[in-house]
Amino acid sequence: MKIIPLLIALLAVLVQAAPAAEPLRYSGEETLFQDTVWEGEVHIDGILTVAPGTTLEIRPGTVVRLSRLDSNGDGIGEHELFIQGVLRALGTAAEPILFTSAEETPVPGDWGAINMMASEEDNVLSHCTVEYAYRGFHAHFARGRISDVVFRRNVRALQFQESTVSLRDCTVEDNLNGLQFRNAEVTLERLTIRRNYWGLRCVYSDVRVRDSLFEGNLINGANLRDSTLSVEGCRFVGNRKGLYLQRSRGTVRESTLLDNSEHGIFLEDSQCDILANRVAGNGRAGVKWVDSEGIFQDNSLVNNGEYALINDGEGAVVARGNWWGTTSAEAIAALIRDGADRTGLGLVDAGEPLPQGK
Amino acid sequence: MATFRIAPLLLLLLAGCLNAPGEPVTPAEPREVAGILRGETVLEGEVFFSGDVLIPAGSTLTLRPGTRVRVQVSESTRIDPEYLSAATELLVRGTLNILGTPEAPVVFLATEAPGSAAGDDPLWAGIILDGAAGTLRHLQLSRAETGVLCLASSPLIEKSLFSECRYGLIAQQGSAPRLLENRFENGEGGVFCWLGSDPVLEGNDIAGNAEEGVFVDGSSRPTLAGNRISGNGIGLALYPRDLVYDPSQIRENDENILLLGPEAERP
Repeated sequence: MKIIPLLIALLAVLVQAAPAAEPLRYSGEETLFQDTVWEGEVHIDGILTVAPGTTLEIRPGTVVRLSRLDSNGDGIGEHELFIQGVLRALGTAAEPILFTSAEETPVPGDWGAINMMASEEDNVLSHCTVEYAYRGFHAHFARGRISDVVFRRNVRALQFQESTVSLRDCTVEDNLNGLQFRNAEVTLERLTIRRNYWGLRCVYSDVRVRDSLFEGNLINGANLRDSTLSVEGCRFVGNRKGLYLQRSRGTVRESTLLDNSEHGIFLEDSQCDILANRVAGNGRAGVKWVDSEGIFQDNSLVNNGEYALINDGEGAVVARGNWWGTTSAEAIAALIRDGADRTGLGLVDAGEPLPQGK
Repeated sequence: MATFRIAPLLLLLLAGCLNAPGEPVTPAEPREVAGILRGETVLEGEVFFSGDVLIPAGSTLTLRPGTRVRVQVSESTRIDPEYLSAATELLVRGTLNILGTPEAPVVFLATEAPGSAAGDDPLWAGIILDGAAGTLRHLQLSRAETGVLCLASSPLIEKSLFSECRYGLIAQQGSAPRLLENRFENGEGGVFCWLGSDPVLEGNDIAGNAEEGVFVDGSSRPTLAGNRISGNGIGLALYPRDLVYDPSQIRENDENILLLGPEAERP
């Protein structure tokens, strides 16, 4: 009977004495020419390229650390993962994958990017956390499918161009800028984009957003220029501007624009249907409408700061069939600023107000 | 991006990027500046900001009396801004000292190119203070998106002129700048207090802005004393009911005082 505890104690000592698995290390400029699988710890002290035709698979629970090198003093770390083939980073909810800085005191921009170039297949990131990069996800002429990923404390969480990217169930928080892209086709579903300086900004892109939250971004929740947009079931809460469209076309439907410091929605030279939204508590105006067109109907516009609706363009705005918190024509007129208040501006037609909010 | 990184670096050979720590550098003419200015940089005379300028944390930019800064007008097609604005910006995360005098103010000029379609749009972003310190005296600045944007920054800004900016000054994210005897004129709005910001406004003229002279959100509590707020669309638009101020500062606006929020009142 004395032998068994002895064996257990011996086993415990052996287990303790066993060395931890050494991290897989890459340094300088290295290239993967064969399909590769990572698990455990990986340290990148340089620029690691995944060659065209090569797949890098990263297994659940893997931790990828990149060291800092800022050779030109521009504040941007240069070490990165450069994908010319395909990346499949497939974590699980129980064992997510972590991309992070190797520095003891990490800061945003310690390392460059998960950089993707000219991929024909989808690069996939699922159940990952990406932090302290200059660009967490960066793509040119690439495809990306991203789900259940947290991008936090990066300079730019995601930046891409000429790419097709879908994000589902992701969180983009506490970065300098959240999503920044151009000439891209983008689908966003169930995202939380919060506490960045800019939440989302893009140009020349086609963007579909569903059931997402833009909250507490310091400049704009979302700003699109020369783009097309479809927004449905989203919330823009506590940003400076909620949704800012410039020379863009689209639909904003069944969404909430609440407590933004300036405007819930700002349309500039745009064509946008605004349908069945709740627009409340925005500081300067619920909706600011400048030289734009579109159907404006079935919205609830209550308790906004200075005005429910500002028409700062020369054209008329048809805003019939909305709820203004009142059905009194005189009270509604006081909630609208248009050509009746300032010469040279178009009028707003707020006839047939809804008797209550939908 | 390599081009973006190299070009500023070359320019900064002129502008203090490589100066030894602790030794202020005054670049030789032509003083064309863009990119990151590390260490102590002193500018005077005629200067051209050919692109975004960043003063990182721990670094200082000083503009001597009489400095005239010409700013590259923003390109409307620019789509990948390096920093916070798509327009040309002076972004300060260290310290900014603008040492104008009554006789020799420091002037920022952004000149519209011939044939430009800018119209009334801003020509550049303005000065952005992001967790920065600074003293700005006798500064003259015009046609910016925001004259000074204070993000968690509390500089002293004194006897300066901000004209035809979309926003004269924005204090947000817990900023408490001291604004003394400045003039904010002929923009869209004058001074905005957002997200827990408590600026001190004393002896300022805030006049001729198309929208608000001063805007105060529900979480901010500016000090308003001895200002002359007149000729604006709305003199003072404010949420808080407990803000103490002398209403005689606010007169001859289209609307003088507009209380916002659920119990909004239009006098």
